[in-house]
Amino acid sequence: MIDVMFGALGAMLSNPKTMGLMFIAVLIGLVVGATPGIGGRLSIALAIPFVFGMDMTQGAVFLLTMHAVNGTSGQISSIMFGVPGDGDDAATTIDGHPMAKKGEAGRALGASITASGVGGIIGAVVFAVMIPVLEPVVLAFSPAEFFLLAILGITFIAFLAGKGQIFKGIIVGLFGMILATVGMDPTTGIARFSGNYLFLWDGLSVVTAVLAIFAVPEMISLAAKGGSISAVSIENSSISYRQLLGGVMEVPRHWFLALRTSIIGALIGMVPGLGGSAAAWLCYGHAVQTSKTPERFGHGAVEGVIAPETASNAKEGGSLLPTLFFGIPGSSGMAVLMGAFLILGIQPGPAMFTTHLDLVWTLIWALVVGNLIAVTLLLFITRWVAVLTFINGAVLVPFILVLVTVGAYANEGQWENLLILVAISFIGWGLMRWNWPRAPFVIGLVLGKIAEESLHKALGLWGISFFTRPLSLVLIGLICATIGLAIYTNVRGKSVMPAGA
Amino acid sequence: MTILTKAISAAAALGLLGGAAAAQTGVDFYKGKTVTYIVATAPGGGYDSYGRLVAEFMQRYLPGSTFVVRNMPGAGHLIGANAIYASKPDGLTIGTFNTGLIYNQIVGQEGVKFDLTKMSWIGKAASDPRVVAIATQSPIKSWKDLIDQKTPVNFATAGVGSASYVETVMLTSALKLPIKLQTGYNGTDDQLAMRRGEIIGSIASRSSYDQFVKNGFGRYIAQIGGKDADTPQLASLVKDAKALELIALVQSQGDIARLTAGPPGVPAAQVEALVGAYRKAMEDKELQERAEKLERPVEPLYGEDVLKAVKAALNQTPETVALLKEALGKK
Repeated sequence: MIDVMFGALGAMLSNPKTMGLMFIAVLIGLVVGATPGIGGRLSIALAIPFVFGMDMTQGAVFLLTMHAVNGTSGQISSIMFGVPGDGDDAATTIDGHPMAKKGEAGRALGASITASGVGGIIGAVVFAVMIPVLEPVVLAFSPAEFFLLAILGITFIAFLAGKGQIFKGIIVGLFGMILATVGMDPTTGIARFSGNYLFLWDGLSVVTAVLAIFAVPEMISLAAKGGSISAVSIENSSISYRQLLGGVMEVPRHWFLALRTSIIGALIGMVPGLGGSAAAWLCYGHAVQTSKTPERFGHGAVEGVIAPETASNAKEGGSLLPTLFFGIPGSSGMAVLMGAFLILGIQPGPAMFTTHLDLVWTLIWALVVGNLIAVTLLLFITRWVAVLTFINGAVLVPFILVLVTVGAYANEGQWENLLILVAISFIGWGLMRWNWPRAPFVIGLVLGKIAEESLHKALGLWGISFFTRPLSLVLIGLICATIGLAIYTNVRGKSVMPAGA
Repeated sequence: MTILTKAISAAAALGLLGGAAAAQTGVDFYKGKTVTYIVATAPGGGYDSYGRLVAEFMQRYLPGSTFVVRNMPGAGHLIGANAIYASKPDGLTIGTFNTGLIYNQIVGQEGVKFDLTKMSWIGKAASDPRVVAIATQSPIKSWKDLIDQKTPVNFATAGVGSASYVETVMLTSALKLPIKLQTGYNGTDDQLAMRRGEIIGSIASRSSYDQFVKNGFGRYIAQIGGKDADTPQLASLVKDAKALELIALVQSQGDIARLTAGPPGVPAAQVEALVGAYRKAMEDKELQERAEKLERPVEPLYGEDVLKAVKAALNQTPETVALLKEALGKK
């Protein structure tokens, strides 16, 4: 086992062609990831014609690295401009963008890039460790557990909203859940809240909603107040490698959180059916919930950047497991990757253990090395990227609004989404203007849909008794504990209020 | 040379050009033109990779042309199909969508803004037979085992109204199968559910299950269409005439998979050029090899022949239409 493991690493590192392809893949992956609205799926789909005739190992390394480093650069626009590229990055926006506004863009980027890399590498380790127990773990999660996990994520809203704002948080969260019901109901075949508009049948575009709730209001506020994104001028801020390095060091400072969220992310990635964004949001919620000072979140807490970034990169390692060993892809991105693997002559399935163990190890190492290359590259160029936050808003706002518009359109290729963008932007701006929490909206939208679909399936399969499955009982216990904790902190918060005020 | 002779020779040259334009064949029309190939799904997945393959090779056989693939996903291929149908009939927009839209047209479902019999058919690339797949750990080993089940077993399909749902409901009711349908299993959710054991089986396209069965997670107990020798044809296991009629309908769907069509009223010369390029693409050894790697071997039909098959599939008895309407939840 050990010799196969390091033999694969040696063979990969000593082959200049593999390493060259990997480097190109990292570059493509980073550029695609940094562009809002274009997912990693598209880059693999477009790369498929090129992998015909490629060597099996080299082709697989090329595609996997391209896919795996996508999330590493996605947070740049979230942090800098409050423009998340997709549902995962939205979680990073909540604390990353306020950091940029405080003149700490360098620190936020340093922390998030390092967190992505660490997450990706821990994800690869989890992949390697989980191989022997893959089957029982993955098969333990059914629609009943998906439903309860989604509910658990939704209960985190109570912590996200901040002290004294719990009711505002619940209202915004419920609003997100209401919008999650837009579209074709899978159990009745009736289009809900869609009128005659076919583009609504598949539900509200999450990317559009996230752009409207986070990015557009930030731009309106920047244009209205004038100046630059960073409230601190460039002279007074230590925008330098030192600040960047300070951000990098935040990850080892919060090593235990990074480790936990990486493992949670990888496990969620392993279990197909919960969807990618769930990992980032559950881990963000986890960071808030376990923090001693949850009130700092939403105003630029570095943990709020580390948690979702580790999770979203770690889940790639996790989601590769069922794809490779079951031949059942866990996400749409993995489905495309698996299609490409088949073209390369790789037959994903249990036989991978015996026939292609060297390839499996090569892929694990590719995740590790690819993430390292991506982190190094990004840390070098980030210093210049961070300067953008000091540019006058009048110059920046039109440029970013174009980016937002392209993102909303390109994601599904439907112009109607631009109308949705404008409509929800008003709501997003209202929430920001009157200081209501915005994160619960996306949690409601993303997890509400999973909760509803899984509940329908679980009830169809087992009726109401699905609650009594052992793993379900554990999750119900966690949900009750979370709600109890939320009530306790809120009551305590109130009793302290009069004295404080 | 005087200015006058220059002008005359220029006019003569123009006249020659004009003559050439009049005699222009469909193939020449595509020189320097850009053709948009609409794929009715998001990037990735069978339709997209097949569409990109077809576009790449059609471009190769229409010299001077550029094919651009445009993904228009949504509403179960309806958005893409409507867009192709409504596009300008100049031969510069064609595309691909799910053959299952035939069901939607038969019952006149909402959102259908096309008439498949009026489209300019270019061709179809493959056959995608349907299979009845059963999880390995289930005691159901054959079609007879399934029929003999005393209590209904769980089968998975995608959402209500999807093509997989319609086919499963039609076959369930016509064959009186002991099946309880669980809906909302999109993508490969059904395969994972079969591994967990909460779902026993699924009626699905063979290309989506071959990998699953090859890995030893499932088995086929019956097949509709196709020439694969490893599985008995469902039509040979059933005697009821009505049921056979429905099986034939499902088979006609599977037979015209991976189709390419343009909007109604594309000029004959352009259609001819497109069909010609499509034919050459399908006969290309490299395309055949790549298509087989993607999923199923190439089994092409061209132009009028596809239209004939589509018309036959659309022409159903009132009983079948009623059954379809019931499956789609329409009165």
